[in-house]
Amino acid sequence: MILLQLAADGLLLGAVYALFSSGLTLIWGMMNVINFAHGDFVMLAMYVAFFAFTLLKIGPIFFVPLAAMALFGLGVLVYVALVRHVMRGPMLAQILSTFGLALFLRYAALWAFSANFVSLPDNLVGGVYQLGGIRLSASHLLAGGTALVLTLGMHLVLTRTDLGSRMLAVSEDRVAASLVGIRAERMQALAWGLGAAATGVAGGLIVLFFYVSPEVGNAFTLLAFVTVCLGGFGSVPGALIAGLLIGVIESFSAYWLGPATKDVVVFALFVVLLWVRPQGLLGRA
Amino acid sequence: MLLEARGIVKTFGSFHAVDGADLTLAENELIGLIGPNGAGKSTFFNCLAGEARPTLGKIRFRGADVTALSSAAHAGLGLARTFQVPIVFEGMSVRENVMVGAFLRHPARRRAEEKADEVLEFTGLAAQADMLATALGTAGRKRLGIARALATEPILLLLDEALAGLTSAEMEGAIALVERIHARGITLVVVEHIMEVIHRLTRRVLVFNQGRVIAEGTPAEVTHIPAVIEAYLGRRAQGSPESRAP
Amino acid sequence: MRASLRRVLIAIAILLAIAPVLTQDAFYQRIAALVVLAAISASAWNVIGGYAGQVSFGHSVYFGIGGYAALLAFTKLGLPPIAGAPLGILASFVLSAIVGLPSFRLRGHYFSMATIAIAALAGLLVTNWGYAGGAIGLMGPATPRSPADLLFRSPLPYYAIFLVVLAILLVLTWWMERSRMGFYLRAIGSGERAAASLGVPIRRYKLYALFISGAFTALAGSLYAVMIGFIDPDSGFGILVSVNMVVMAALGGAGTLFGPLVGAIILVPLEETTNALLGGGGTGAAYVAYGVIIMLIARFSPGGLAQFLPRIAARKSPRAA
Repeated sequence: MILLQLAADGLLLGAVYALFSSGLTLIWGMMNVINFAHGDFVMLAMYVAFFAFTLLKIGPIFFVPLAAMALFGLGVLVYVALVRHVMRGPMLAQILSTFGLALFLRYAALWAFSANFVSLPDNLVGGVYQLGGIRLSASHLLAGGTALVLTLGMHLVLTRTDLGSRMLAVSEDRVAASLVGIRAERMQALAWGLGAAATGVAGGLIVLFFYVSPEVGNAFTLLAFVTVCLGGFGSVPGALIAGLLIGVIESFSAYWLGPATKDVVVFALFVVLLWVRPQGLLGRA
Repeated sequence: MLLEARGIVKTFGSFHAVDGADLTLAENELIGLIGPNGAGKSTFFNCLAGEARPTLGKIRFRGADVTALSSAAHAGLGLARTFQVPIVFEGMSVRENVMVGAFLRHPARRRAEEKADEVLEFTGLAAQADMLATALGTAGRKRLGIARALATEPILLLLDEALAGLTSAEMEGAIALVERIHARGITLVVVEHIMEVIHRLTRRVLVFNQGRVIAEGTPAEVTHIPAVIEAYLGRRAQGSPESRAP
Repeated sequence: MRASLRRVLIAIAILLAIAPVLTQDAFYQRIAALVVLAAISASAWNVIGGYAGQVSFGHSVYFGIGGYAALLAFTKLGLPPIAGAPLGILASFVLSAIVGLPSFRLRGHYFSMATIAIAALAGLLVTNWGYAGGAIGLMGPATPRSPADLLFRSPLPYYAIFLVVLAILLVLTWWMERSRMGFYLRAIGSGERAAASLGVPIRRYKLYALFISGAFTALAGSLYAVMIGFIDPDSGFGILVSVNMVVMAALGGAGTLFGPLVGAIILVPLEETTNALLGGGGTGAAYVAYGVIIMLIARFSPGGLAQFLPRIAARKSPRAA
């Protein structure tokens, strides 16, 4: 029974990982740029949600969309002011740009909010449901369910809508897309906006049951890397499956190895994965 | 036989980019490789240069099996190539770019430098030797690509659209350069789009379509073969041939 | 051009040699020693990250290995800490081989992602490694048992030792820059495909670069532990250790001989004085600034400050050599 419980917890958390990771994979798929600040986006969203609750006294129904909008704006801003200019520059500039952004966000947060851990009250989304002996807390259910729906939604938008096919066209061939009248720059800005909005929602959901500190971002960045790498760079369904899997792996290793070392397994998995299959476990060569 | 490629197949997933192509080359030949976009020329070319490993088939260079060797090993054996879109080494001068190639046979800096200067003289880049390579225009970059490859002292040189995108004056210069390279005894394979260039440079061409060699002969002969005409016109009629390139 | 370059370099060298003697203030002498130490690790990073263009965000692993080797040699074997340095270098070679061989199939972003993960992994493992002090870390000798402990009250002897190591590294880099290896690394950094087509054995040369880079970073870690007398997972394996190397090299000019030194001369005094002025909170402020500096470099001047010099860094005409 404990195994089922661990698996259920892992799946619900994994759905949230899948959501912010699909943001990373969307950006990568569109323009082959890795956002080294991705986890710090999640951190920022968590603070947005936290302060929206403590200062504006608004609940998750409002602060999750608020965090999503805030991060959407940040994503577009980062693209317009930074990424757009370094994309076709030297590799060094591409890699440094978002890494510098990560540092900036992390230490600006440290400066502004101090290193203290803060969290929302436990009972904000209270209640525990029993399902055949498995205990599922309402906050986890809400987070996991919302994340799952939105990740699937993102996949549908990308594959079933006109907007999605225009974005796909830009990712496949920028020049050709411009020739048929698609504004590549706008699509790429949108990808950054949506990718960041995914971290916005995810951050707003995680904060329901997880503490915030300026340094949580690093672990989320690495979790997003391993998820995207496992699911194949650029694939949203891949990120979904991989995110769920990572959640379960983390949940089990936290149980067996203790919470302090749970990330060892996931990070080690990432390193091994990069060595043996850089194109991703589910990805194509 | 200098180079012998037999039954080359290269697949990407279910897509057969090259689907059973053969090529034999004698010493000091100069042959052309033509075909519509996405016909598999580039992939075949990459197989010859060791950048892509054929899914099936064998390539022998001077009698040795080189099918599985790396691109660097190919250069070491005397099989060099240029790129359609030339990649210049940033932050290095034109001379230093060429020295990277020259170091292959001349590990000592001074000798590599002498070799580079000789190649720069030969390719007509001597005046730009101290310029930053990134300051060169398209024609200059293509020429630099050829110079760098020549500095590795190749036996066989594969030129990938070395003349595309040049003005007619630049093209004359480039044709003259290819002829001088040939006159040095270097065997050449040129991939080209421009039929006029093929007519002037080569006496034997291979026509690619859909991953296969569909015709072979003199430039004048192949342009009258119905299959060739159809391959060119047929694909053009379908539009957007770019989309098939892997 | 060549002569003026030489003059500038001689001036920097003299400045470095006399800077700490000019001031009797131990605070500034200490900063000078830390500048040179930071310049060692940034210059070491520069070999792989600058010349070969493989941006490592995980060089703290080498630094930590060197630091822990020194203080493990003291706490476990009773040796002078500096005796651990060769062990640290040896361990760095092993790590380079393990990490480098497979991960050099990875290019660009993938390599950088791998290095972040490896550093995070190493930090977690060391924190949970009770033998090496766990989260608390290791202490060096409190009082000198012999001169070999290299325990001095004044920062000046450290400054001198660091300067010798830096000089060795810079001469090695200078020699490399002018030889086939330097050309090959720069070619790899700007286009692997083109480099391979010219017969450059990519993985072998990247591995050479990583060996040199890792060994000197490990040595810098040992020297740090010898001078500070303390190492813990954060000061050895923390991400900020890597950040310092990256930002200093990138600011001065990644892939240039003196770029990392210039970066260290500018940034270390800034960081130390903000720390002194603002206390613990100062660290955060310095790294906010580092983040901004890195973004500005990426956006406007990927060549760092060297890009603004009148071509001297970029154009060392081989003719004039």
